[in-house]
Amino acid sequence: MIKQTFKVEDMTCSNCAMKLESLEDTLEGVKEINASYHKLTMIVEYDESKLTEEQIIAAVKKKGYMAAAIWADNT
Amino acid sequence: MSKNQTKSIDLVVVVMIGIVFLAIAIALFIVPSETVPTNTSSAMSQMMVAFITGITTGGLSCLAVQGGLLASSLAHQIEQDYIAHAPTIHPKKHAKKIEAVPVPRVNSALPIFLFLVAKLVAYTLLGALLGWLGSFLTLSPVTRALLMIAIGIFMIGNALRMFNVHPIFRYFSIEPPKFITRYIRKTAKGTDTAMPIFLGLLTVFIPCGVTQAMMATALGTGSAMFGAALMFAFTLGTSPVFFVIAYLTTELGARLEKFFMRFVAIVVLILGLVTLDGGLNLMGSPLSLQNLTRSWSTQPSDSVPAAAPSASDGSLILNVENNGYFPAILRAPAGKNLTLNLITDKTYSCSRDFVIPALNYYQLLPASGTVQVTIPPQAAGSKLFFTCSMGMYTGQIVFE
Repeated sequence: MIKQTFKVEDMTCSNCAMKLESLEDTLEGVKEINASYHKLTMIVEYDESKLTEEQIIAAVKKKGYMAAAIWADNT
Repeated sequence: MSKNQTKSIDLVVVVMIGIVFLAIAIALFIVPSETVPTNTSSAMSQMMVAFITGITTGGLSCLAVQGGLLASSLAHQIEQDYIAHAPTIHPKKHAKKIEAVPVPRVNSALPIFLFLVAKLVAYTLLGALLGWLGSFLTLSPVTRALLMIAIGIFMIGNALRMFNVHPIFRYFSIEPPKFITRYIRKTAKGTDTAMPIFLGLLTVFIPCGVTQAMMATALGTGSAMFGAALMFAFTLGTSPVFFVIAYLTTELGARLEKFFMRFVAIVVLILGLVTLDGGLNLMGSPLSLQNLTRSWSTQPSDSVPAAAPSASDGSLILNVENNGYFPAILRAPAGKNLTLNLITDKTYSCSRDFVIPALNYYQLLPASGTVQVTIPPQAAGSKLFFTCSMGMYTGQIVFE
């Protein structure tokens, strides 16, 4: 499992955070997503054997946002 | 989109708007007459004010705060529509052609409608609860003033957030707790009607600034029935704006949403300033816009004798009218006991809720009649501000 923090600069309201968190339901390999409009960040905990950083960024893009990986914590 | 589909959308919109306006008529003419605790005309006018507040400002302000929840309820529907109508294979050479095929959104009016009906029910119940609670406590003018100032700051902060002035203003946006959003997602998954209804009910936890002000008013009614009727009228008022903007934005896309959000930000900013100013008025602060401008206009003190009658015999007359206090500036001798005669004549507006913050005087005046207020001696050069309980209408007594 890896905990990766992404910067999502184009969130405009707290609903954007809710939208991003809904990726929890659709992205296989994701354990948990915590998005914050206040910090413009999204922390994704995922299984790196099933999912890549690029796939997450692509999924975020599909939701209409641009994510950039900024920090990772291997657990 | 075929002609038939366009027609059916139009029909849905017309029917929905028709229902909303029918409900308005019921709210304004039937509900008040059965739920009024004391004075019918006063209650009617309060309901009317609540409805007008809703239709003019509440809708936009609420959309700014609760739009997210509505968008969530629509997102599922739109996603479903898109999946249902999107082609499974995207051959590159036909890509342009496929993209040009519009996705029919015949159903987008329905989730908005369900969302708004659920919201209406939730707020009516909340109004009943607040009115019931209000029967046990009364909001003093100072508490109401502090509430209004807080609401004003909240609204201004939100407007500045929408304008993206500084990251700090993002903290004015209320983020629903994670467990709530997660719970909604899990329970509403796969259902088309439960999601908007549930989210509509949930708006009760994130009221916008204008709604909060209305909630305070419902609390002040001291009656469950009247509180419910007031919140019903207000929420009903917000519904057409909510419906039209939400419908247009989902139909016309994100570019228009951006435009509307700018518009909403401007309206919220103005409302925030007005609310903050009302709060300052109610505190009797000389820093409120009305009191400041009035001070400037009275600087060359003898220039407005007609508007500022002086009381040599120790009694002052103030006409309390539907659109304010006349004259707005009274002059009185300093160091003497005074009697202020408040005269109402078929006055039904909030000017009847008369407040002198510095004296901690608060009185609901009769619709017609005279009420006398004894004012203790004041120092020369001082000013005594008076206002209605909403901080809308103001005036002052200048002691010289």
